[in-house]
Amino acid sequence: MSMQSLNQLVARSIIDPGVVQAFTSGNMSEILNGMDLTPKLRADLGCLEASSFVEFAIKAYRIVKAAEIKPLQIDLPSPITGLISDQDRAEGEQAA
Amino acid sequence: MIACTKKEREWFLQNIAQGLVDYLGVMEPPVPIEDLLKNPPALFDADFGVVEMNSELWDATFARLPDQSGKVFVHTNLGPEARRYALARETLSALITSKHGQNMGLFELVESHLRESAEFFARILLAPPRLLRRFCSGDGAVKRIVTEFKLPMHAASKLWEEMSTA
Repeated sequence: MSMQSLNQLVARSIIDPGVVQAFTSGNMSEILNGMDLTPKLRADLGCLEASSFVEFAIKAYRIVKAAEIKPLQIDLPSPITGLISDQDRAEGEQAA
Repeated sequence: MIACTKKEREWFLQNIAQGLVDYLGVMEPPVPIEDLLKNPPALFDADFGVVEMNSELWDATFARLPDQSGKVFVHTNLGPEARRYALARETLSALITSKHGQNMGLFELVESHLRESAEFFARILLAPPRLLRRFCSGDGAVKRIVTEFKLPMHAASKLWEEMSTA
């Protein structure tokens, strides 16, 4: 949803001078408050420094994109059972 | 202006193209590019316009007159698809040289890749992905882009290739 909101902001910026005016006058927080963003993203985008609205948007794209990438989940075995499965352990005990 | 990737540049161009399509209120193809240039958003009143020409040098080119108003000069003998594509391509030059475009920092975004950016912008303005997904898919998509969206074949093929690998 955040990327969709950012897409809409950029689309709006080409026909609505208010967006670029808000950026140049340092009032992007007003625009960001109206967007569907998580509080963290809103804060991160709110303190972005950029020399132009385009630069702001590109930096915002990177931040939103990074936030959308889900962290990699690895199912590690429990330290109690270790790396050997129950079946392998049972077979090992029988052989002994 | 920070350095940005082709993907980032195209992301921005795609969204401003969508903004213009939204302004036109287009719900189905083809996108009326000539209407956009003749009845532009108020911000671009002095930047958009179409003038017929008979030069053999270009299919179309954007230029500013001494009073700084902008016009796309388009060859009178182009076929309808080629004309639409040339007008859409030159629209990017109108945008980046406009006061609003300069205030946005648009020129800096595309200055090193102007031709490539303008061609991409033309494809995406005439066949916005939202409409493309609704009207074209699977076998024969390229042909449908040509017939529904009125793009030249070369642009339709390139667009479909881009959409398929995105």
